[in-house]
Amino acid sequence: MNLSFFDQFSSPSLLGIPLILISLTFPALLLPSPGNRWITNRLSTLQLWLINLITKQLMTPLNKKGHKWALILTSLMIFLLLINLLGLLPYTFTPTTQLSMNLALAFPLWLATLLTGLRNQPSATLGHLLPEGTPTPLIPALIMIETTSLLIRPLALGVRLTANLTAGHLLIQLISTATMALSSTMPVVSILTFLVLFLLTILEVAVAMIQAYVFVLLLSLYLQENI
Amino acid sequence: MLSRLVLRAAPAALRALPPPVAVGVLHTTRPLHTTQQSLAPVPPLPEKGGEVRHGFIPEEFFQFLYPKTGVTGPYMLGTGLLLYLLSKEIYVVNHETAAAACILAVIVYGIKKFGPDVAAFADKLNEEKVSAAQAMKDETMRALQTAIEEEKKEQWRVEGRTYLFDAKRNNIAMLLETNYRERLMMVYNEVKKRLDYQVALQALKRQKEQDHMIQWVEKNVIQSITPQQQKESIAKCILDLKALSKSAHAAV
Repeated sequence: MNLSFFDQFSSPSLLGIPLILISLTFPALLLPSPGNRWITNRLSTLQLWLINLITKQLMTPLNKKGHKWALILTSLMIFLLLINLLGLLPYTFTPTTQLSMNLALAFPLWLATLLTGLRNQPSATLGHLLPEGTPTPLIPALIMIETTSLLIRPLALGVRLTANLTAGHLLIQLISTATMALSSTMPVVSILTFLVLFLLTILEVAVAMIQAYVFVLLLSLYLQENI
Repeated sequence: MLSRLVLRAAPAALRALPPPVAVGVLHTTRPLHTTQQSLAPVPPLPEKGGEVRHGFIPEEFFQFLYPKTGVTGPYMLGTGLLLYLLSKEIYVVNHETAAAACILAVIVYGIKKFGPDVAAFADKLNEEKVSAAQAMKDETMRALQTAIEEEKKEQWRVEGRTYLFDAKRNNIAMLLETNYRERLMMVYNEVKKRLDYQVALQALKRQKEQDHMIQWVEKNVIQSITPQQQKESIAKCILDLKALSKSAHAAV
C-alpha cells in the first residue's frame, strides 16, 4: 500500500458505495449493552459510570427544561470521543476529519438552541446580543459584532473539531514519515524524531478527548443561554 | 427446511459450546430472537470473561495448538506469519508503521500502568452496589430478629400479667379498707365531740351552780357574823396560839 498523505482523509468508498455511514457505526461495537444482570462485568460497569459522569457534568448547570437534551448530548459526547480515539489507530479513517460531518453535527444542534431561545424567551435571547454596561455610542457596533459572533458559532464548532483532528493526524503522518526517512541515513536523529512522535501521540490522545468534550460543552453552553 | 433444522438443533449446540463462546453467540444473535427468552434451563453465564494471553489472544488458541506443536507452537506461528508478511511485502513498511508503533506503545503503557487501578475501581463500584444491598438485607434481618425477641419478651410479660392484676387488686382493696377505717374514725370522733360538748355543758352548769351556792353561803355566813362573835373568836384564837407556842417551846 503506497499511501500519500491525503489517503487517510478521503472518505472511504467501495465500488462507488460510500462507506462513511458504516464507519460511523463502528464505535458502537465497543459499547456492550448492559443486559439483564444486576452486577455486570467491568466494562459495562465502567461504561455506566462514565455515562453517569458525563450526564451529570453536562446537565447540572441546565434547568429542568434543558434536561430533555441529556440523551442527545451524552450520546454525542460518547460518539465523538470514540470516533476520535479510534482514529488514532493506524490505517483507520476518522469521520470527524470531514468538515461535512462536523458541520452536519454542529449546525442543526446550534440552530435548535437558537430557535428554542427565540421561541420561548425571544427578548432574553436578543438581549444576549448586547452585553451589560456598554457605553451608549458603542451599541450599534457591538450589536453587529455580537450578531456576527452568534451566527459564526456553528462554523466555529465544526471547523474547530475538523481542524484539530486533521492537523493532529497530518502531523503524525509527517513526523512518522520523517522518522522512516531518517532511519536509513541518520538513525540517531530518527530515534529523536520517534520520541517526538511518541509525545505527539500522547498529545493527540488528549486532544481527541478534549475536542469531543469541548464540542459538547459549547453546545450545552449555547443551550444554557437560550433555554 | 434448513432453518427448521437449525432452530431445532440450536439449543443443544449452544449448550455444547464452552460458556464464553455461548455468551458471545447469544449476544450476537439476540436481534434474531423472535420470542421471549425461556427462563427454564438457561445455561449458567460465567462470571468472568475468558482468559487471554498478551492482551488479545484467547487462551483457547494455545490449548488448541498444544497437542500438535507444544508450548512454542503459537509463537512460532506468529513469528513466521509476521516475517512472511514483511519479507513478501504483503505488509509494506511505511510511515504508518512508525505511527502504529507509537500508538501501540502508548496503549500498552496505558494499560500496564492504569489497568489494575481501573479494574479495582470497577470492582469497587460493583462491590459497593452489592454491599449496599447486603447491608439492607442484614439490617432487615437484624430488625426482624430484634422484633422476634421483643415479641417473646411481650409473651413472657403476658404470663406475669395475672400476678400484676392480683397485686393491683390487693392494693385497691387495702386502699378501700384504709379509707373506710379513716371515715369510721372520723365519724367516731365527730360523735365523741358532740357528746363531750354536752358533758362539758352539764359539768359547767353544775360547777356554776356549786360556785354560786358556795358564794351565797359564804355571803350569808359573813353577814351573820356579829361583832360580839368576832371579839370572842379573836380572844379564843389568841389563847389557842399561846397554848400552841408553849407546847412548841417545850418541844424545842
